[in-house]
Amino acid sequence: MIMQLDVFQALADPTRRRIVETLLAGEQQVADVVAKAGIHQSGVSRHLRILHDSGFVLMRPDGQRRFYALEPAPFRQLDGWLTPYRELWEARLDRFGAALEEKSKQRRAQATKPGKKRS
Amino acid sequence: MNKTNEAQRGKLVIERRYRANIQDVWDLWTTKDGFESWWGPQGFRVDVSELDARVGGALRYEMIADTPEMIAAMKSMGQPASHPTNSRFSELRPRERLVITNVIDFIRDVAAYENQIAVDFKVEGAHVRMSVTLDAMHSEEMTRMQKEGFTSQLTKLDSRFGTVAAEN
Repeated sequence: MIMQLDVFQALADPTRRRIVETLLAGEQQVADVVAKAGIHQSGVSRHLRILHDSGFVLMRPDGQRRFYALEPAPFRQLDGWLTPYRELWEARLDRFGAALEEKSKQRRAQATKPGKKRS
Repeated sequence: MNKTNEAQRGKLVIERRYRANIQDVWDLWTTKDGFESWWGPQGFRVDVSELDARVGGALRYEMIADTPEMIAAMKSMGQPASHPTNSRFSELRPRERLVITNVIDFIRDVAAYENQIAVDFKVEGAHVRMSVTLDAMHSEEMTRMQKEGFTSQLTKLDSRFGTVAAEN
């Protein structure tokens, strides 16, 4: 499964992310991607080749024409990759919740003190 | 399908709903004491040196490993036990939305880049809904994972992540 080695590099590039977003609409030819993504044809071809080599994009020849589409498998894997990152943020927001609880307690304590109104 | 779309864009959205006052929620992001009270991954604390909660205002803090385990772990990875972080508030609408742009320029051998955290707040009765949108693919943590050789081990991890994906 060598194609998965470059999951990060393949999508790290903003132009390639734009191409991927364009392909979300479905299978397309290079010219359509050029028009929709607003990137020069030579750039699109090069980036499509990288996305193809890294397994994100499938190419289907049809006579003279070549159609490009997203391959779902690496995106599912990417979602798995995001899991540890998501967990890190879930833990961070757990601490946010705890800090917020503490702050709310202080606010309530202040509010009940006579003569210590908070605007 | 939302989750897949997020992954395709390299974005991750995490939403929480708190029974709390909107000002308290906002203050945890925009005041020194508030920010220090929760930020920093497990095993780290932060010392904020500057927090200027205005559009373009600076947010500077030192990220410090503060458990013996984390200090040892950083040492074994050849990383310093603390590092300064330069960020700024690139968007700010009080109690509605803020965007923090982080400059990731402290990872050795990796060219500097920017990463954004967008937070949207919405009052719903006695609750506040807080939605955090992250540039997951282009983040400090992912870059470190990549640098630490996770990519070269992907084949080994395939089955493990395959399991995780199936559980979701």
